[in-house]
Amino acid sequence: MEKHEGFMKALKCRECGREYPLAATHVCEFDFGPLEVAYDYDRIKKSLTRAAIEKRPQTMWRYRELLPIAGEPTVGFQVGFTPLVKADRLAKRLGIRELWIKNDTVNYPTLSFKDRVVSVALSRARELGFKVVACASTGNLANSVAANAAAAGLKSFVFIPSDLEQGKVINSLVYGANVIGIKGHYDEVNRLCAEIAGKFGWAFVNVNMRPYYAEGSKSMGFEIVEQLGWRAPQHTVVPMASGSLLTKIHKSYQEFMKLGIIPESRYHVHGAQATGCSPISVAQKAGLDFFKPVKPNTIAKSLAIGTPADGFYALKVMKETGAVAEDVSDDELREGIKLLAEYEGIFAETAGGVTVGVAKKLIASGRIPADDSVVLCITGNGLKTLDAVVGHTGRAREIKPSLREFEALINAEGELSAAI
Amino acid sequence: MAHAPKKTKPAAKAAKNGARPQQTRLWLMYPPKLITRPIIWELGHKFAVSTNVRQASVTDEIGIVCLELDGEREQIKAAIAWLEKLGVNVEPVEINVIES
Ligand SMILES: Cc1ncc(COP(=O)(O)O)c(C=O)c1O
Ligand SMILES: [Zn+2]
Repeated sequence: MEKHEGFMKALKCRECGREYPLAATHVCEFDFGPLEVAYDYDRIKKSLTRAAIEKRPQTMWRYRELLPIAGEPTVGFQVGFTPLVKADRLAKRLGIRELWIKNDTVNYPTLSFKDRVVSVALSRARELGFKVVACASTGNLANSVAANAAAAGLKSFVFIPSDLEQGKVINSLVYGANVIGIKGHYDEVNRLCAEIAGKFGWAFVNVNMRPYYAEGSKSMGFEIVEQLGWRAPQHTVVPMASGSLLTKIHKSYQEFMKLGIIPESRYHVHGAQATGCSPISVAQKAGLDFFKPVKPNTIAKSLAIGTPADGFYALKVMKETGAVAEDVSDDELREGIKLLAEYEGIFAETAGGVTVGVAKKLIASGRIPADDSVVLCITGNGLKTLDAVVGHTGRAREIKPSLREFEALINAEGELSAAI
Repeated sequence: MAHAPKKTKPAAKAAKNGARPQQTRLWLMYPPKLITRPIIWELGHKFAVSTNVRQASVTDEIGIVCLELDGEREQIKAAIAWLEKLGVNVEPVEINVIES
């Protein structure tokens, strides 16, 4: 009898289309193209409708037919369905008719969109019989793997460059993860991680589990569509590191259209990078369909991937959807963080600053027309990258415990007296 | 497992030393100034590794080659170091394994 694989059909090479069994494997043996999950859309169509979705719990799993697990999820039941905030104050400031913030700064449990991909990867890892999970990460992914593995009773290994900041390491260690710091140049560390992933029989979430893992990002797009009242936004601005999230947002809109859950409409999925690490954005602006590797130099560490694995596919999506990429300097991304905080009360990490900064540029230059509607994907929490804004915010005024001193301060500073 | 060697065709030297041969899959990306140089040929002669090009695209902007190397681990590591010194970007087949 055939094994029950839910709504999945096979793993399929993105280059040559060859099909592979639904195992923990990620590269085509023939041309080394990345493998992607293929689904049985005819069967999905019969069970996934708006009405069915609306009856389910408000988590990312309400779209489970389009997520790559065979049975029910066993890791990360509570992940997703983060707020979609109508950002009227920021819209006015940026000069756009309609603006929405998809707020994954409050994603459960580790405050970034990575909980979406990790809960899918770990649920699938369990189905495939793995007891140990692993990843190589400098931040959000490590935290998410450590936390979700702990909650699910899985053992975890987290590989990091040895010079990583203490705070980021603690955020993984606290969950009892085995954290391994590797000394050496980034490229060397990166290659060693690939070797380790190949050698040990673990579920390495972003290596042998990558086809499943990456699909988790689609849930962000599904939620945007549902929360907008079942429509795809005209413009979505997405931060890019590897470029995977951008391609999966596009795929989520495509799948909902293909299944008839939303009508066909034209939409643009724009990409955002930091200028100090902008291989995809530079290629897009030059009209190239490939990127050139760069050495990252930006405070937006969560987007600092100089050789992005999905860069080629991200460029293709932008071309197909008539979208553009743009990048912003460290100062501009700090301004983006502050705009989002001061106008909407949302404190995002550097990636969010990049997204807001790029949206501002695209609106100001008319590449996003002022009359259109935009969704910004804000993917991580500002408390994780406090260093980025230290010294760039206002400062606290100090006084002695004396009412007279407070009154003197108010009178001295026009801004304070205006606030009364 | 993705990286488990399939058919290992150990390079001659590696077999003689009794060292364990391994297979490594890499993406090489090289700048325009290196495009005219027969890098893969040189690599096969300098080091005890067998090379197998699985995919390639060369334009006058960039050379991108997907390469399978078979040989002893130390030889493969030396070959990678040589490539990097030439200015070639050497990534594992997964490209960026480290994520944020
Ligand atoms: C906060 C944040 N936003 C966005 C991204 C971009 O993700 P992708 O690699 O899918 O482009 C990352 C990736 O690490 C991230 O940590
Ligand atoms: Zn293939």
